Amino acid sequence: MEILKISLSDFLAHVNKKIQAGDSKQVGVVPKGSHFVFGELDEAAQLCLDYDVTILPPKKYFQPQREVLVKYAPKDASSYAMVNDCENLTLIGVHPYDLVAIHLMDRAFSEGERDENYMAKRDCSVLIGLYPTRGFEHRFSASMIDPQMPYKVADLMLIKLDDNQLALEVVSKKGKAYLEGAAVAKSDLSEAFLAQARNKVKDSQAFPLGPDKSPAYFKEKYEHPVWEKLGEKCYSCGSCVFVCPTCYCFDVRDEVELSLASGERVRYWDGCMIESFAICAGDHNFRKERGARFRHRVFRKTVTLPEKYQVMGCVGCGRCAQACTADIAGPMKVIKTMKEMN
Amino acid sequence: MSAKPKVAFFDFACCEGCQLQIANLEEDILGLLGLVDLVEFREVMTGTAPEYDIAFIEGSITRKADEERLKDIRNRAKILVAYGQCAVTGGINKLKNLHSDMMEVRKIVYKDKAAMEHLDTYPTRAVGDVVKVDLIIPGCPINKDEFVSIVKQLALGKIPRIPDYPVCVECKLKENVCRYDEGEICLGPIARAGCGAICPSNGVACDACRGTVSNPNKQAMHEVLAKYNLTVDEIIGKINIFAVDPEVSK
Repeated sequence: MEILKISLSDFLAHVNKKIQAGDSKQVGVVPKGSHFVFGELDEAAQLCLDYDVTILPPKKYFQPQREVLVKYAPKDASSYAMVNDCENLTLIGVHPYDLVAIHLMDRAFSEGERDENYMAKRDCSVLIGLYPTRGFEHRFSASMIDPQMPYKVADLMLIKLDDNQLALEVVSKKGKAYLEGAAVAKSDLSEAFLAQARNKVKDSQAFPLGPDKSPAYFKEKYEHPVWEKLGEKCYSCGSCVFVCPTCYCFDVRDEVELSLASGERVRYWDGCMIESFAICAGDHNFRKERGARFRHRVFRKTVTLPEKYQVMGCVGCGRCAQACTADIAGPMKVIKTMKEMN
Repeated sequence: MSAKPKVAFFDFACCEGCQLQIANLEEDILGLLGLVDLVEFREVMTGTAPEYDIAFIEGSITRKADEERLKDIRNRAKILVAYGQCAVTGGINKLKNLHSDMMEVRKIVYKDKAAMEHLDTYPTRAVGDVVKVDLIIPGCPINKDEFVSIVKQLALGKIPRIPDYPVCVECKLKENVCRYDEGEICLGPIARAGCGAICPSNGVACDACRGTVSNPNKQAMHEVLAKYNLTVDEIIGKINIFAVDPEVSK
């Protein structure tokens, strides 16, 4: 892998050139109140490379909150037309745990029934990763992700060396092409130095189980009282699943114009923690209890996805723990509470 | 139901703000009129009809005469929809129920004119407390887009669904900074969504103007309030504004 160096000001100047060229939307991390979000950059100076976590993960660009899939005229099957809108997009400053999450999303949307809408958006994207420079009290990603896995989806990786210098790992052809015309120089940095720079920020907690042991451990706890104990505090507000970078559940609705002459089939974000999520025909709800929903969500991350992909379904970003007003959602909280109860 | 359902609008104790929302639909009014046959709506037209496929009721019930009139409408309507928070829970009119003596309420508002006969009133009741309600459209005022969507679904013969999840859902979708993170008390976790989290999106905590979800987690609310060193008493005033659910404050 080619490693380059660039000054921060030269990097921002390059991003500005991309913004002005206008052939790819440049998206980066920007402040929002006391927090951070991914947002479109009007100028590179808005870009924040020193952040803890964003409120929503970058999945919002690949699986939009509202996405038209089909347009149709009612009662006319020949009118049905697939809609697949996407635009060129560069995401700048994606932390490794979010890159791993994108890799998991890619697998979910490409294996078996391939989701053309998601995959088209991914194909139009350039991902520029960034090693975190700021800690986050709820993060435990070092214990959840394989450090090589971010490179499966990243096109470039940024390593902040100091306030003025960046190292650039060129991962893919797309990444190389993005740097065309940038004021980069060959790196003379040793691998030992880079390794240290990548791991500048340490997590304050670690999840004790990996994808090999986690499924069996949690399956044995299926009837554990922890689910009811934490579940009874759950608002069923869905915050934990909407902020989760590996949650991709959706609802599909047909929406007809007032004229009844045309309609759209639209996909919306949905989540298993919402009480109405599992309501099916006859108003039967197959996951009615808060505790059952709570267990289902944790099992998706610790049992189902690890069994399917041999990778933890949680990347340890800590967003759910922060977003949960009732302070129950974080996987670390589940483990701690289980231990306290035993 | 005939090809175009006969639709009527009625109001009881309210500010008529919700029907104003409908009168203000502008272009969508024409589209709606293509879907339904409007037969009675005092605010926008003259005329009455003997029966209705869908009757929309705004306002709360505060007098014996209201009760009789509402029951008569119910008898003549196939589908009855309570729309606006006054009709759905009693709304802000229910604040007077905090007083046990209705004459005391009249004196607070009308002073020495309190004895006037037409001010006769009893404790506020929601429409659903008096007659069977088939569907609710919550909000103070109602959300215009939601109203149009519901009429459309009724006209298509569908069973309309309104959100039954907390405002937090829509607040997360808007990527708002949580009001609790800003040190405020927000009813979002128990409030019924459907507003697009309009208040938190503009930097103001949620007052639950659409009432609560059908199964609010009271226990969790109490524990969260305790975590922020607040008591239930401190938010009762907030909950009372829109007569959210007196059960929540217990």
